[in-house]
Amino acid sequence: MTFTAGRPSGGPGTGSPIRRGYGIPRPGSETGARRLLARTLSAGETWVFAALVILMAVFTGWGGLKFLSADNLNLTAQTTAPFLLMAIGETFVILTAGIDLSVGFVLVLTGVVADKFFLENGGPNAGAGTIWLGVIIGLATGAVFGACQGVAVSKLKIPPLIATLMGLGVAEGLSYLITGGADFPSVPNKLVSVMLGSFVGIPWVIVISFLATLVFGLILAFTRFGRYTYAIGSSPEAAERAGINVDLHLIKVYTVAGFVSGLAGIMNLGYYNSTTISGHPLDNLTVITAVVIGGASLFGGRGTMLGTFIGVFIPELLMNGLNIVQVNQYWQYIITGLVLGAAVYMDQIRRRLRERA
Amino acid sequence: MSHRYPALVTGAIAVTALGMGLAACSSGSSSSSSAPSSTASSASSASSAAGKTLELVVGTKSDDFYVTMECGAEAEASALGVHLTVTGPADFSAPEQAPILNAVAVSKPDALIVAPTDTKALNPELSRIAGEGVKIVFVDTTTDDPSIAVSHITSNNIGGGELAAQNLGQEIGGKGTVAVIDVNPGISTTDERIQGFDQEMKSKYPNIKVLPTQYDNDSTSTATSQVEGDISAHPNLSGVFATNVLSAEGAATGVQHAGYSGKVKVATFDADPQQMAALHSNTIQLAIAQSPYLEGQDGVEQAVDALTGKPVTANIGTPLVAITRQNMNDASTQQYVYKSSCS
Amino acid sequence: MTEQGHPPSTVTPLLEARNLVKHYGHVLALDGANFTAYPGEVVALIGDNGAGKSTLVKALSGAIRADSGQILVNGSPVSMSSPLDARRHGIETVYQDLALAPDLDAAANLHLGREIYRSRLFHILNKPEMRRRAVKAFADLGVELKDVTAPVVTLSGGQRQSVAVARAVAYASKIIFMDEPTAALGVVQRGRVLDNIRRVRDRGITVVLISHNMPEVLSVADRVEVLRMGHRVARFTASEATVEQLVGAMTGALTLEGPDEQAELDAAAAAAGGDGNASEDGRNQA
Repeated sequence: MTFTAGRPSGGPGTGSPIRRGYGIPRPGSETGARRLLARTLSAGETWVFAALVILMAVFTGWGGLKFLSADNLNLTAQTTAPFLLMAIGETFVILTAGIDLSVGFVLVLTGVVADKFFLENGGPNAGAGTIWLGVIIGLATGAVFGACQGVAVSKLKIPPLIATLMGLGVAEGLSYLITGGADFPSVPNKLVSVMLGSFVGIPWVIVISFLATLVFGLILAFTRFGRYTYAIGSSPEAAERAGINVDLHLIKVYTVAGFVSGLAGIMNLGYYNSTTISGHPLDNLTVITAVVIGGASLFGGRGTMLGTFIGVFIPELLMNGLNIVQVNQYWQYIITGLVLGAAVYMDQIRRRLRERA
Repeated sequence: MSHRYPALVTGAIAVTALGMGLAACSSGSSSSSSAPSSTASSASSASSAAGKTLELVVGTKSDDFYVTMECGAEAEASALGVHLTVTGPADFSAPEQAPILNAVAVSKPDALIVAPTDTKALNPELSRIAGEGVKIVFVDTTTDDPSIAVSHITSNNIGGGELAAQNLGQEIGGKGTVAVIDVNPGISTTDERIQGFDQEMKSKYPNIKVLPTQYDNDSTSTATSQVEGDISAHPNLSGVFATNVLSAEGAATGVQHAGYSGKVKVATFDADPQQMAALHSNTIQLAIAQSPYLEGQDGVEQAVDALTGKPVTANIGTPLVAITRQNMNDASTQQYVYKSSCS
Repeated sequence: MTEQGHPPSTVTPLLEARNLVKHYGHVLALDGANFTAYPGEVVALIGDNGAGKSTLVKALSGAIRADSGQILVNGSPVSMSSPLDARRHGIETVYQDLALAPDLDAAANLHLGREIYRSRLFHILNKPEMRRRAVKAFADLGVELKDVTAPVVTLSGGQRQSVAVARAVAYASKIIFMDEPTAALGVVQRGRVLDNIRRVRDRGITVVLISHNMPEVLSVADRVEVLRMGHRVARFTASEATVEQLVGAMTGALTLEGPDEQAELDAAAAAAGGDGNASEDGRNQA
């Protein structure tokens, strides 16, 4: 269906008005500003941002200014980068009331596939052209993997939890099969130096992950793709009756998730100079936690990329802070669990409050 | 007002976080020791070492081997009067150890004692730490650039592999088939154990057939299924060599499940309480104990020596002890059993 | 037999269903169902629970596909295989469950599937324009929404229904189906809905009203068609019918359409140039 930006002959706002005597209240500047404030206060992002600020204040007071130092925030952002990428995809999936458990393992698989290609084409000395080709192969692997999961969820009607649990197993199994059970011996030096390097002073991993978050965040907020994602999560029937091809859209959403996990895999391969096949066992839970803390509802239809962005940093900064003040890290799991519980509880409250008869 | 609830909840989170923080702080983290001991091992080093901060980053926080290392490190730290904290990732994984090392680069202890979980993935993080002037000591594992550390302390892993081969070969009468269960290639310690084992088997017991190494990724359940599979596939399987704690536990379980306890001889590395029980019940026949306690002590000692300008020893190989059912109750072997907690 | 509910046979029906059959597994929901809607009228489709009203509406609005039978728009057979087909023919539907996305706002719901874009590249949405048009569309119907940008789940049942109705009215050029529009509403709101129905008809759009409420039906409809056990059993002109007759037709106590009558209709239709249809409704039931 194509629409022009001009006024069509039919559609809302183009017919003759039927006056009934009820006016539409025009928002005066007073009520408008108050409404904006009220909406900001009730927006999920505000509260998760407040939680982040409180977290940073607590650790700065406790651990000293070194917690807020550029070095520390820089390093934390670097180790958070792959989680941020995976969380982008997870946000789209959770917005459709789905879930993707395969994220950490698709990361590993794409790194393995790309490195296999590199090993046979120059190994540590692979040239730039080979590396670009390998990157594309890796990204394609992630995207195709995601697409398969999307087909399982939409056409085969397999619940997302099961479909991506199966995907998790397949990705892990394939990674071990291809590598023979051990990390590959080398990664192209050029890729490593890029991922450990910077772009005008900002580490590449931060540039890539932040840029990806921005681009996909804009897509989510301002394009049809984003709106259809929200619509399907909110009510698949409404979307179906509105003529939206729900199945195709779900496949696209899971493909996006696979793609960004693939990007995280390439990043991980270079940054750690290794395929790290057993190094990401619980990434999926970290990512899902981040997305939910960021305000997305597991029931779909609600959440934003900004919320996810903030949500990803809360567990990471929490861990970083606890490491710096040298408190037993097991507290990290407890506190993260509490914050997650609070976020889900708040989602429930907001849901109940806004529903009227 | 409907906005009350979010404020309450965020407030609750903040209060909880603060409360827990204060509680943890005041009760004293179980993994730190501080007060200088009156019985210093060497008076001169105690006075200039006092107040130094050391951090020990192990390979896996809840592995008995590393817990024992922690105990040894803490004992030496309090003897020398230095402040030690111990951290470590939940899994033996470089991406999980990296953020911990980054925090070390920021909190800048005087010295870092670390068991690196990968031979190259953590080089950038370690370089950063060295660049901040922190002295580094490697315990257990090492990287492909050990010059960054002032000292590397590990078991004589090759010798340990040889010891395992000698004992196992003798146990099974010099013939038959033997399976080898390893963690992952690329880990310096376990690679050397296999190296020693293979060398000794080839030279001393040429009639024994050693199966290709199997990798369980540090998972007991994988080790169990691998051993069970080996037993089914090789009817004349007479022995199994497992290269670390979790592989050993899995191998012992596998032999037990298949009903071959005592018939298939199991030689393992490491000696945690579970393996002692398995020795006692004759499910495994040999446990090669490393000296993680000693590694922890030596790690702290070398770090303090580096900090106080004393000479350091670049490479220290800690002894290994072969524990069998016969000698497991002797006082001299008892001290080599790993602990699951330091108290 | 009374001759009721037939406009002059020279007027081509706007929408016609002939002999629709639909199975759901073993259940026969539509058993050779017929339906006719003429331009510029309000026609009520009534029937007892399980008579097949919702199924018929879904088949005519493209939400489901009948197993067999014909659907004609302005006398020509069409294929109704998706909601998009129906919309293309100028048919809009307000379903009983409203088919709104609760988390999206009124403007977004109004334009769902028919978004207005700033640029076709990447399909970037033109949200201000969509909001502007939504406000106007609601104003046209006399609907007062405090905040067009609030998620529709925060609106009252009546307001939500207004959003769904406004959506249908905004896009329909021929017919709007309304499935039990007053079922969940209070007295005042019901009155408003019935007013809106009349207004829509006065604008030249036919309204097909499915309802359980006989008095309401008689107050707003021009004609009534009765469905029973998956096929049409009677047609009435509202002004000449009583509630008892309607109920009687619904429950089978009264049968008004027999084979003779149908043959008359077929002849008239053939004379007007349409296709004849061998079998029809009006089986006699005891």
